[in-house]
Amino acid sequence: MSKKKSLMILANVAFGIIALIALFPIIALIISSFQPSSVLMRQGLSFSIDFSQLSLDNYRFIFTEADNYWTWYTNSLIISSITIVTSVFFSCMVGYALAVYEFKGKNLFFVCVLLIMMIPFEILMLPLYELMATLRLTDTYIAVVLPLVVAPVAVFFFRQYALGLPLELMDAARIDGSNEYGIFFKIMFPLMGPSLAAMAILQGLAAWNNFLWPLLVLRSNDMFTLPIGLATLLTPYGNNYDVLIAGSVLTIIPIVILFILFQKYFVAGLTSGGVKG
Amino acid sequence: MAEQAHASPKTKNNKIGAFLSSKKVVPYIFVLPFFLSFSILTLYPAINGIIMSFRQILPGVVENVGFENYARVFNLNFYDALWNTVIYVFWTTMLLTVVPMLLAIFLNSKTIKLKTIFRASLFVPALTSTIVGGMIFRLMFSESSSAIGNQLMSLIGLGPIEWRYSAITAMFLMVVLAFWRWTGVNLLYYLAALQNISESLYEQADIDGASAWDKLRLITIPHLKPITVFVSTITIINGFRMFEESFVYWEATSPGNIGLTIVGYIYQQGVGQNDLGFGAAIGVVLMIIIFIISTIYLGITGTFGKGNNK
Amino acid sequence: MNRKTLLLLTTTAFFVSACANDGETGTSTDEVETIGSDAENAEEITLWTFAPQHIDLYGDAAERWNEEFPDRPIDLVAETYPFEQMHNNLLLAVQSGTGLPDIVDIELGQYPNFMEGIIQFEPMNEYVEPILDKVVDSRYELYSRDGNYYGIPTHVGATVMYYNTEIMDEAGVDIDEIVTWDDFVEAGKQVVENTDSTMWNVGTEDWLMDMWPMISQRDSDAIDENGEVILDNEANVETLQFLYDALYVDEIAELTPGGMNQSEEFYGYFLDEGSASILAPLWYMGRFVDNMPDLEGKIAIRPMPAWKEGGNRSAGMGGTGTVVTKAADNVELSKEFLAYAKMSEEANINLWTILGFDPPRFDTWESEEVRNPDNVYYEYFGDNIFDVLLDVRDEINTLNVTADTPNVINEYHTHVTFNVLRNRTETPKEALERSAKVVRSLQRD
Repeated sequence: MSKKKSLMILANVAFGIIALIALFPIIALIISSFQPSSVLMRQGLSFSIDFSQLSLDNYRFIFTEADNYWTWYTNSLIISSITIVTSVFFSCMVGYALAVYEFKGKNLFFVCVLLIMMIPFEILMLPLYELMATLRLTDTYIAVVLPLVVAPVAVFFFRQYALGLPLELMDAARIDGSNEYGIFFKIMFPLMGPSLAAMAILQGLAAWNNFLWPLLVLRSNDMFTLPIGLATLLTPYGNNYDVLIAGSVLTIIPIVILFILFQKYFVAGLTSGGVKG
Repeated sequence: MAEQAHASPKTKNNKIGAFLSSKKVVPYIFVLPFFLSFSILTLYPAINGIIMSFRQILPGVVENVGFENYARVFNLNFYDALWNTVIYVFWTTMLLTVVPMLLAIFLNSKTIKLKTIFRASLFVPALTSTIVGGMIFRLMFSESSSAIGNQLMSLIGLGPIEWRYSAITAMFLMVVLAFWRWTGVNLLYYLAALQNISESLYEQADIDGASAWDKLRLITIPHLKPITVFVSTITIINGFRMFEESFVYWEATSPGNIGLTIVGYIYQQGVGQNDLGFGAAIGVVLMIIIFIISTIYLGITGTFGKGNNK
Repeated sequence: MNRKTLLLLTTTAFFVSACANDGETGTSTDEVETIGSDAENAEEITLWTFAPQHIDLYGDAAERWNEEFPDRPIDLVAETYPFEQMHNNLLLAVQSGTGLPDIVDIELGQYPNFMEGIIQFEPMNEYVEPILDKVVDSRYELYSRDGNYYGIPTHVGATVMYYNTEIMDEAGVDIDEIVTWDDFVEAGKQVVENTDSTMWNVGTEDWLMDMWPMISQRDSDAIDENGEVILDNEANVETLQFLYDALYVDEIAELTPGGMNQSEEFYGYFLDEGSASILAPLWYMGRFVDNMPDLEGKIAIRPMPAWKEGGNRSAGMGGTGTVVTKAADNVELSKEFLAYAKMSEEANINLWTILGFDPPRFDTWESEEVRNPDNVYYEYFGDNIFDVLLDVRDEINTLNVTADTPNVINEYHTHVTFNVLRNRTETPKEALERSAKVVRSLQRD
């Protein structure tokens, strides 16, 4: 048995190392955010850190002088919140219908879902941009959120999840006089709770980190989201690396909080969905 | 109570109400948001994109140019972009299905303690944006000999490498960034799938005297097939739409086109070079390529069949 | 994620939100600046630029304007965006006809993209024509189409050689003896032999810091005046061969760290005396002052080495053309303000005193204000700057900038330098021919 035990220890140590490697870049970023940014830009992220150089200067600067940064932060929070709520709700409705009902054109709809999953959004971005320009929606939150309102991946996921719902409950509810909306909102929607949490995290991630589309439709500085704003700091003409590095660290926080809040449901949600395809 | 409100039968409003909540109509109302967003945000732009690809679009002057844009698409730079994209798709698909699967199988076994912490640690990279994550990797693999990448190289006795300036290391940088960010997500998918495999199957196998290897081969892996199809499909699609992983290292242009991807080429030409029609044409070509590949892939794995099963 | 980390993060989050509120006062990183009058009747003029320092010039002009014309006050809203983003934004705005600013700075290499279709800018002829005999007209020609002058140039961009005099003295090189590129190579060998530095750097993403000025200097270009692609002509192949030789045959140069000499990597390297000279336009002085302040007093400016004695010793490189868009709310006022801010004598003096640029109007080069020695650039580089400029004024060729120019630059940065200078897998001739072919294949019939 001692052979088995030592194997077990070995496996645990190996996993510990893997976890450390995964976390390492973020830890390194956090530490280096206390370094003068010009040093970082010239030397790169290094194992050898001069601890005497560490200071709170970057953070002091970002909290006192970088007004734009906080505007971007607010924009990102607003856009991500809207996206999470709308996309999870609508995608869930669609996925649910595709799973539990029989109706004409159902397969066609499902094929369309798969189709959009297959078409990279980026292919459509130029014509879509033209559409937004025609509708005079450029430089608004709506333009950023609209393409994310029904997320095909989420629809697919919810469909898979809903396939596993106890359909007997529906019939029982019908016998009790419930109509279809009641069944959905009062019985099925709550049952899908874990999968909702899982998609809230994934859609939140997608919205919070979305880059190319906001880059196209957002024009003015006070509408920028964090990724766009941070990318504006990478210009060789400005010396804004202080805000860039410390600002990057601060972007991770809300999404970590979201993850921690929903983590329990998240795993449970994934467990029962997305697997029965 | 919602159902009571709908259930109380009285005026002619109820006829509409009853119609709207009849089992025939409800599904259509449920899929309505999708139908709208599909028609406005996918179908219309797709058609418009095809029209645009036959045009030269300049401010105030839109001209039909026939197949000229398509004739220009197949130039040496496009082939560079296509080649890079294919290689990237290959590596990310390989790594992001096999590695998370193996990790999940180990993590699911009883040998590993502190599962939640491992799981969370591997997931945290997914919480960073490609822009932030890419910036970290760019700093870790900077040319400077004091950067982490080169410090590791010197440990194994190699000189400093200019990571961002050769084809192989460039591909490594892009793949490693995607691998780092997505392993944790795919790991969760696999863990979820593993938990859905009924314990009794293993118990039965134990009774039949199956070895650990047999159980892996005959129970675990076959049951992971659906999720593997899901994960690999998503990875392939994401690979073809890759843009940001390259953008953070080189922005729109990279030395020797080592970081050029097809979407990057659309952006570079369509937006940066003011050639919307040409960009649209590249998009159409990409769409065709993806259609062919995914139809073949889904055909092989039988996903369409499954879709109709329920 | 364990509990401690969670605690740490949530505390940080609270800290973040707490501090965010009292951070309202700072303005130094604002990318949007409003300069000018609060008066009710003030006309708002919006302006986009990609170079934050340009705002100093426009802001100063707006303030002077409001003093001089109190009855016609303006309110200047200036926004800075990163290079690529601003130009792409502007292209999209021009395409869709919405969201255009009144006045905008456009970089030379990007400029041709805006000269296609119906030009969305206002001609400035009424202001340009009267002063054409007082300016380096090649700079105005760059931004003109069919006799219309749209863009107002910001500087001459005369390319010069910056030498680190400490290294030169150590190597025993007299920089005034360097007349031709051959002399430069010989001096380079001396530097390499006698010091720890190399002589020079060749960029891989720096078309306008070596290849372009050097071919322009010998009356070549990537595109000829008829719009034909001549990237692969003999003079260009020879020039690229020269760059190759500097790196690998004469071994007097290294590839530019960071790929271009406007990068943090390069500034650090040059500060550490990695190399002894930089070929760059005069506007590069600003990079020295801002990013390499420690080298003050150690840098001397001389004309470019010529290809043969008596040959051209400079080339006009880089540039920003400022235009008024047709969508401007008040076109006439915007044009008048632009002329006031960038074309008047005072404006040209400010281009020098505020930005350290070599102003396009040469009638200002010997003015008292420009020659006033109390100036950071004279302190840093010595007082011969405008003498060098006057010396080489007539040796600056006009560049041919067409719709193919962005593709040429792209090819040079992605293909040519990579295969010839870095990996050495192609000869200069092969690489230039291949790239010329790609540029031609992207041309429309």
